[in-house]
Order: sequence, then structure tokens, then C-alpha cells
Amino acid sequence: MDCKYIEQLLERYWQCETSLEEESELRLFFSSEEVPAHLLRYKDLFVYQQIQQEVGLSEDFDARVLAQVEVPVVKARRLTPVGRFMPLFKAAAVIAIMLSLGNVAQHTFFADEALDYNYDAYTDTYDDPEVAYKQVSSALIMLSEGIKKSQDQLIADSVSATKAVEMMNE
Amino acid sequence: MQEISFRNDILPLKDKLFRLALRITLDRAEAEDVVQDTMIRVWNKRDEWSQFESIEAYCLIVAKNLAIDRSQKKDAQTVELTPAMEEEADVSGPHDQMVNDERMSIIHRLVNELPEKQRLIMQLRDIEGESYKEIANVLHLTEEQVKVNLFRARQKVKQRYIEIDEYGL
Repeated sequence: MDCKYIEQLLERYWQCETSLEEESELRLFFSSEEVPAHLLRYKDLFVYQQIQQEVGLSEDFDARVLAQVEVPVVKARRLTPVGRFMPLFKAAAVIAIMLSLGNVAQHTFFADEALDYNYDAYTDTYDDPEVAYKQVSSALIMLSEGIKKSQDQLIADSVSATKAVEMMNE
Repeated sequence: MQEISFRNDILPLKDKLFRLALRITLDRAEAEDVVQDTMIRVWNKRDEWSQFESIEAYCLIVAKNLAIDRSQKKDAQTVELTPAMEEEADVSGPHDQMVNDERMSIIHRLVNELPEKQRLIMQLRDIEGESYKEIANVLHLTEEQVKVNLFRARQKVKQRYIEIDEYGL
């Protein structure tokens, strides 16, 4: 580029008489490698202007601003009466399923163990009849003792009751 | 006037707004907050977009005002300036990404040392390439005032830079 022209432009630049185009021309000139020695001292001033044009914000700035600006619109959902109780229905259905499953499981696992009313099929638990006899008699003694005790209690109660009645009568 | 879309017309202005705010606040984090606030303010005014002459100028004005508010508030938070902090501020300023070259950092400091008005005009003209009319509109000045301030700013930066360059002042 013509050196004289640049000098002239520069002079007008200092006087603030250059147009925007001429100023960008100057920047272009000074950003090139071949700058005459006597103009070299001004080079950095224009290089600085160019460098400063690159200064910018970080990448995630857009996302942050857009997140604040374009707040997602929340739509009100209309609920039907059936829809409102849907969660309850669901819960009830789950409980019903669990109960019926439990029932089925019980039937499958414990179906064999029905109560047996066939007394002929019963087997003895004692080999020796004498031992069996003793067991039965001791069980019966315990039973009779229990009965006797309750009878005694009954008599004592009735005695004390009649006493109380007599005392009241007196 | 055609339809303005936030994504396509306003969001791409972010870097420009950021640079402007950075020139005022001289602090990246503050400037980023300013741009975010600007975006949200402009978004909230979306019903009036069609009435604006230039949405870009409007954004610039909002960003400028917010940034000035913030930097004034920051000034008001009086913190005693210790020598260590002074040094720290000097380092953090030019640390902005590409300005690592020593000469670049000198110019950066010179520009940031200008009075606020001159600094902004220089930013808008020499870096963003705005017309005088646009700058006058954004800064609420006449074009003549813009030119005078720009003249002073350019002269000052040039003189100081040559001084430093030649005598190492």
C-alpha cells in the first residue's frame, strides 16, 4: 500500500477526520507484516484495537441467558374426576393383585395338608402299651385335679357368698 | 420494521456489550453480570422492541447505564487501597486473554486510564467501529462533543505511548 497515502490517513486519523472505512483500512495496514520503520511505533496502537475486538464472553453465557429468558411454559392439566382418583385405583389394584397372589400361593403350597378325619389311619405314638397307659392316666389325673380345684373354688365362693348374705340379713 | 428475534438479533450483541461494560467496570466478572442483566432487561421490554429505532443502540445504552451504576456502587464500597491491591489490580486488568504482550498491556493501561467518557468513545469508535451519530446517541452527547473527546483520547494515548516507547517512562 502507498506509504504517502497511509501517512496522510494517519494524520487525518489523529485529527478525527477519517471515516470508518478509512480507519479499518488503517487497521488492516498495520496488521500486515510490512510496516515501514517510521510508522512502526503506531503499529501496536492499531493492533491493540484489533485484538480488543476479539474479547468476548465465555461459551456458556448464551445458555445461561436463554435459561433465564425462555422460562418453559407450564401448562395446567385438566383433571377428570376419574383421573383424580386414578392413583387410588392403582393402589387398590395393586393390593388386590397381591392378595389374590397370596391366596393362590397358599392354595398351591398347602393344598396337600387338608385335615384328616379318618381315625383308622391314625398310628400309635407309643410302642409299649404300659407307657401309653401311664401317659393317659397321668393326663387324666391332671384333668381331674383341675376340675376338683375349680369345684373347691366354687364351694368356697358359695360359702363366702352365703356368709355375706347372712351378715347382711342380720 | 421487521420482527426482532432475541436469539438472532440481541444475543449476538453480547460480546460488544461485554467489551463496553468491561471498559467501564474494568472487571470481567462485573462486566459479565452487566451483560446478563442487560439481556434480561431488554427481554422484559420485548413488547416495545418494535418501537425502538435501533435495538443495538438501546442495548448499548442499557449496558452502559448498568455498568456505570455498578462501578459507582463498587466505588462506594470503600476499600482501603493497599499497595498490594494496587499491584494486583494492575495485573488483573490486562490479563484479559490475549493482552499478554507487554506493549499491549501498556496500551491497555493507557486506554483504561482515560476519563470514562473518552474511554467509552474510544471503545465504541476504534474498537467497535460505530459511527459518530451512533456514539452520540448512545452516550447522550452531540456529535461535536464526541469528536472532541475522541480527539483528546487519541492524542493522549498516542503521546503517552510514544513517551513510554521512546523514553521508557
